Amino acid sequence: MLTFIIRRFLVTIPMLLIISFLVYLGLELTPGDAVSYMIDPDTASTMSDEDFLALREALGLNKSFLQRYGIWVFNVLQGNFGHSLSGGVAISTIVLDRLPATLELSIFAIVFSTLFGCILGTISALRRGSVLDSGLTVFGMVGVSIPEFFFGLVSILIFALKFDWLPVGGRLLPSYDSYVDHLPNIILPGLVLSMMMTAGVMRYARAAMLDSLGREFIRTARAKGLPEWRINIIHGFRVALTPVVVLIGFRLPTLIGGSVIIEEVFQWPGIGSEFIEAVRGADYPLVMFIALLSVFAVLMASLIVDVLTALIDPRVRLS
Amino acid sequence: MANASLNRKFDRIRAREEAGLNTPQSGSRALRKLMGNPLAVAGVVIFSIIVLASIFAPLLTAQDPQKINLRAMLQPPSAEHWFGTDRTGRDVFARILYGGRVSILVGLGSALLAAIVGVGIGAYTGYRGGWVDTIALRISEIFMAFPQIILVLLLVSIVGQSLTNLIVIFVLTGWGGMYRMARARMLSLREEEYVQALQSFGVPTVKICYKHILPNALGPIMVNITLTTAMFILAEAGLSFLGLGVPLSIPTWGNILNVAKDIRVLENNWWMWLPVGAVISLFVLSVNFIGDGLRDSTDPTLQG
Repeated sequence: MLTFIIRRFLVTIPMLLIISFLVYLGLELTPGDAVSYMIDPDTASTMSDEDFLALREALGLNKSFLQRYGIWVFNVLQGNFGHSLSGGVAISTIVLDRLPATLELSIFAIVFSTLFGCILGTISALRRGSVLDSGLTVFGMVGVSIPEFFFGLVSILIFALKFDWLPVGGRLLPSYDSYVDHLPNIILPGLVLSMMMTAGVMRYARAAMLDSLGREFIRTARAKGLPEWRINIIHGFRVALTPVVVLIGFRLPTLIGGSVIIEEVFQWPGIGSEFIEAVRGADYPLVMFIALLSVFAVLMASLIVDVLTALIDPRVRLS
Repeated sequence: MANASLNRKFDRIRAREEAGLNTPQSGSRALRKLMGNPLAVAGVVIFSIIVLASIFAPLLTAQDPQKINLRAMLQPPSAEHWFGTDRTGRDVFARILYGGRVSILVGLGSALLAAIVGVGIGAYTGYRGGWVDTIALRISEIFMAFPQIILVLLLVSIVGQSLTNLIVIFVLTGWGGMYRMARARMLSLREEEYVQALQSFGVPTVKICYKHILPNALGPIMVNITLTTAMFILAEAGLSFLGLGVPLSIPTWGNILNVAKDIRVLENNWWMWLPVGAVISLFVLSVNFIGDGLRDSTDPTLQG
C-alpha cells in the first residue's frame, strides 16, 4: 500500500513541473512588462532609461526566461512564493489570509450538499418512477441550469433585501470576532453553493443506488427475510456510497474553483475573489500562484481518491 | 392452440394493413424515442423559441439594443419597453433578444468547435494507439488538472478580453472532455470484427476511423455537445457578470446581468436583471432536457 501511495505521489511531481512551466511561459508572453505595472505613470515619465535598467536588473528581469523560471522554482521549493505586484505584499501572506474563508465556505457546502444529495438521491431511487422521483429529477435539472450567481442574486434580494433576515455579504463584522457572531454571514453563500452542488450529488447518488439495488446480494438479503429498511440502508446504500465518495473526492478541488463566482457575489473574502481581483489587475505573480495552487489541489485530490479506492477495492492496488 | 392465436394476430395485422393504418414509421428510432420523451420535447420547444427569437430579433422589436435614450432612463416595464429600460435608457427586451445571438453563438459555437477538435484528435489517437495516443492523453491531462473556471480566468488574463479570444479559451478548456469520451469509445470499437475486416481489405487508417467507426460513437458525442453548450452558456454569463468575459460594449446575456452587481439596481430595478437571468436559466434547462433525452434515446445500455 505504501509503495502504491509513494508511486502515485511521484507521478504528480513532473505534472506540476510541466504545468508550472507552461503557466510561467504563458504569462511571459503577455504584453507589457512587470516593471510598467509597478510604477505609476507619473513617476515613470520622470525616470531615466538607466533607472529602468537598474530596476530591471534588481528585479532579475534581465536574465533569460529559463534562468528566471529556474530561480522561481528554487524559491518556491524554499517556501518563498514571491510578491504581489499591487502593494508588494508577500503572496504567502495573501493566501494564508484568504484561505480560511474559502475553506470555511467549501466545507460548509460539501457537508450540506453531500448530506442532502445522498438523502434525496436515495429516496428518489427507492421510489423510482413515482411522482416524487420525477419531481426530484426535474429539480436536479433546474439546479444545474440556473447560473449560480443569478441564484445568489435572487436569494440576496429575497432574504437580505426584502426580508432583512440575513446579511447581504461579507464575512466578519468589524466589531465581532467569534465564529457564532458571523454565522449569519455564511448561511446565504453557503446554502447557495450547496444547492448548486446538491443537484449533482443527488443525480449521482440516485444512479449509484439504483445500480446497487439491482445487484444479486440485495436479492440474497431479501431472501434471508431481512426487513426492507435494513436491505435498503445497510446493504444497498453502503455499496452505493463508494462511487459517491469518489465523486465528493473530485469535488474537493473544484470547490476552490467553484466558489470563485459565489465569493464575488457575496463579497466573501476568499481565494476566489482574490483571484478575480488579480486577473482584473493583471497581477501576474498572484494569478499564477493561485492557479497553480488549485492545480495542486486537483492533483492531491485525485491522489487521495485513488488511494481511497485502492483501500476499498483491492483490485486497483494489485494491477 | 398457439397456432390459432398466431393466426389471429396475423389476421389483425393484415386487417390493419389493408385499412392503410400500418404505415412504416418514419425517421430514426432514436429520434422517435426522443420525441416520446415529454421533457425532451419541452426542451426542443423552449430551445427553438429562444433561438428563433434571437435570430429574428429585428422582427420582434423595433427598439435598437444599443441606442441610448437619456429621456427614458430606468423605466419600469411598459407597452413601449416590455422589460423596461436600463440606466442609459436602452431597451432591455431588445438587449435580451440581440444578446441571445452572441451568447448562443459563443455557447453553441464553442461546443461545436471543441467537439471537432476533441473528437478529431480522440478518434484518431484512440484508434492508432501507441506514442501518439500517449502524448495526446498527457496533453489532455494537463488541461484537465485545472478547475475549469480557474483555467478560463488564467487564459483571460494571458490573452486578454475579446469575443474571439473567449471562444478560443472555451475550446481550449472544453476539448479535453470530448477527447476523453471519443478516445474511450474508440478503444472499445476498434476491437470489433468489422474493423478487422476493413483492416484486412487495406482500407486507409484515416478512412476506417473517421468514416467507419466514428458514426457509431455519434450518440454520446451529441449528448456531450449539448451538455457542453449548457456549460459554456453558463460560463459566458458568469464571466461577463464578473466583467471578464465578452467586452461590455457587446450585449450578451452575461453583460446585461452585469448591472445587478450594483445593490441598488438589485433591489429597485428588478426588470434589468431578473428577466435575462430567467431566460438564461430556461435556455440552459432546455439544452439539458435535450441532452438528457438524447442520452436516454441513444445509449444502448439504457434501452428497455
